[in-house]
Amino acid sequence: MATTALPQRGYLHDDTPHLGEWIRSWLFTVDHKRIAILYLLAINFFFLLGGLAATFVRIELITPQGDLMSSDVYNRMFTLHGVIMIFFFLIPAIPAVLGNFLLPLMLGARDLAFPRLNLLSWYLYMFGGIFALSAAVLGGVDTGWTFYTPFSSTYSNSNVILTITGAFIMGFSSIATGVNFIATTHKMRAPGLTWFRLPLFVWAMYATSLVIVLATPVVGIALLLVAIERLWGVGIFDPALGGDPLLFQHLFWFYSHPAVYIMILPAFGVISELISTFSRKRIFGYEFIAFSSMAIAILGFLVWGHHMFVSSQSVYSSLVFSFITMLIAIPSAIKVFNWTATLYKGSISYRTPMLYALGFIGLFVIGGLTGIFLGVVAIDIHVTDTYFVVAHFHYVMVGGTIMAYLGGIHFWWPKMTGRMYNEIWGGISALIIFVGFNMTFFPQFVLGYLGMPRRYHVYPEEFQILHVLSSAGATVLAVGFIIPIIYLMLSLKTGRIAGDNPWDATGLEWKTTSPPPTHNFEAIPVVTTEAYAYPPEAAARDAAEWRPGSPL
Amino acid sequence: MAKTSTTAGHGAHGDGAHAEHAAHAHISRGTYYKVFAALMVLMALTVGAWWIEGIIALPRLLGVAIAMAIAIAKTTLIILYFMHVKVSERATQLYAGAAFVGFAIMVIITMADYFARGWPPPPGPLP
Ligand SMILES: [Cu+2]
Repeated sequence: MATTALPQRGYLHDDTPHLGEWIRSWLFTVDHKRIAILYLLAINFFFLLGGLAATFVRIELITPQGDLMSSDVYNRMFTLHGVIMIFFFLIPAIPAVLGNFLLPLMLGARDLAFPRLNLLSWYLYMFGGIFALSAAVLGGVDTGWTFYTPFSSTYSNSNVILTITGAFIMGFSSIATGVNFIATTHKMRAPGLTWFRLPLFVWAMYATSLVIVLATPVVGIALLLVAIERLWGVGIFDPALGGDPLLFQHLFWFYSHPAVYIMILPAFGVISELISTFSRKRIFGYEFIAFSSMAIAILGFLVWGHHMFVSSQSVYSSLVFSFITMLIAIPSAIKVFNWTATLYKGSISYRTPMLYALGFIGLFVIGGLTGIFLGVVAIDIHVTDTYFVVAHFHYVMVGGTIMAYLGGIHFWWPKMTGRMYNEIWGGISALIIFVGFNMTFFPQFVLGYLGMPRRYHVYPEEFQILHVLSSAGATVLAVGFIIPIIYLMLSLKTGRIAGDNPWDATGLEWKTTSPPPTHNFEAIPVVTTEAYAYPPEAAARDAAEWRPGSPL
Repeated sequence: MAKTSTTAGHGAHGDGAHAEHAAHAHISRGTYYKVFAALMVLMALTVGAWWIEGIIALPRLLGVAIAMAIAIAKTTLIILYFMHVKVSERATQLYAGAAFVGFAIMVIITMADYFARGWPPPPGPLP
């Protein structure tokens, strides 16, 4: 162990004498770990921006009158929130930050298969982001993040072209990441790392990449067609020009339903890692979790019509889409049951990442089950375009993806930075987020069921109390998001040195130093065991040795 | 199999890298010309078919079917030869196939909706 083949310096270490060189060493890096950090900064910036838009929406909704902004400004505000959160936060968040950082480490590789393509994907992301931001600065866009035609292609007087160009470019960033992950997983696994020894996070990334590569081009084309109709009046979607608006919805949801899985599958991967590590047990039903990711990825391509039950789509299509939507519940439930079974008789430690993981399971179950309600045509017709739908997808996206993203950031923070964060504040903020989240979005289920439509800012008096509750919850949630930013930043200076494996976890990423050297491993590791190879007595021993204040 | 270790560095390890096609298989220049010629013939066929269909007043549906068949033949040639899928690894071929299947799903299900949209709605609740 003492001899080193490669210089043992953390990837964050810099020996650049001038500021200019330092900037260049970051902006032209091809190191997957540095690119992950670039993504981390950019994505969190967009998250805060999207959150700011949400704040204005929630403030406006405190009163039944439209007194803070006009209807037009309100339209632009929720569109900004949606576009930024979906395209520039949720879709890239876990793959581009955690996936980029971890995939080569987990595979025992020195980098991704195409390091320059990886850097290009970051630039494409930034470039797309600049387009979307400039659209916002120049007055915003009022179509909603779904860009439904013919409003977007003909009637809207806002910056539709700029925004969809931004989303279009961002799509290529996704595709670049997906291609890179697929090639890396196929080609660069360490000796002995067979497919069924892969960490479940890698399986989740693989399934996500499959969806990205197959679905994203379709939304690219759909958005391009909107632009063509808008710019040159070619009749594609606008009935006045001989087009069909439903064609847009088909093309858009062919991507955007699978895009839900681009957002949630990586979260499943993170949760599998956290649950196993903090229960000190091998995961229950490894193959089932791995294959359920693949099943969700594939079935996800067959259900898009459940967004179109009231759109004058054929009722027979709706029937089939409804049925297949029910099927997706099976692989999703398999995962939840397997995580729960992993907890059984485990030695559970309630560290910050585990709090997020447990929160995820509860919230995702609510989000998923209300998804089944919405998959039933009869119920969906009743609650279409109400706050019920809004609550449902926020339970999946915020309660699912963001909880997993934060859990993952906390779990791998010591690996990324080499330092530990403040555990007490970590726990407190996780609880604040859980409470704030439920306070924000649970009332919206009730609101929606009572008939409060989404995307309206003037509403009947009787809904006010629930809206005020929701806005108050959003404030709590915002506090919960700001606290981690503070203590994570502080940890960079004052955090305890983490050591290589602070959680006593399995997995190749914990076998190298924290932070890892530029080329990840001194020598390429050889894998001889399954993933999560905790000895059978690990949990029992851990529990026996537990005492108040013990590290795990 | 040992001769495939030309790929330097990290590509060499990983048991998944079973040497399916030694290094890079090639498509000869002659094949490219042949495929190009075939594409030109198919293009002539497309135009010719359109012409003849105009003269003998073929049903529109049949005309579209013929045009589609020729177009699919052209696409297949381009994917197999110009995009190297024919001499690529199994995984690449699998993904090319998956993209095709995905596209087919999109077209077929969307068209099924158009086809069924005019159908009478199912009867309402029982009296
Ligand atoms: Cu959906």
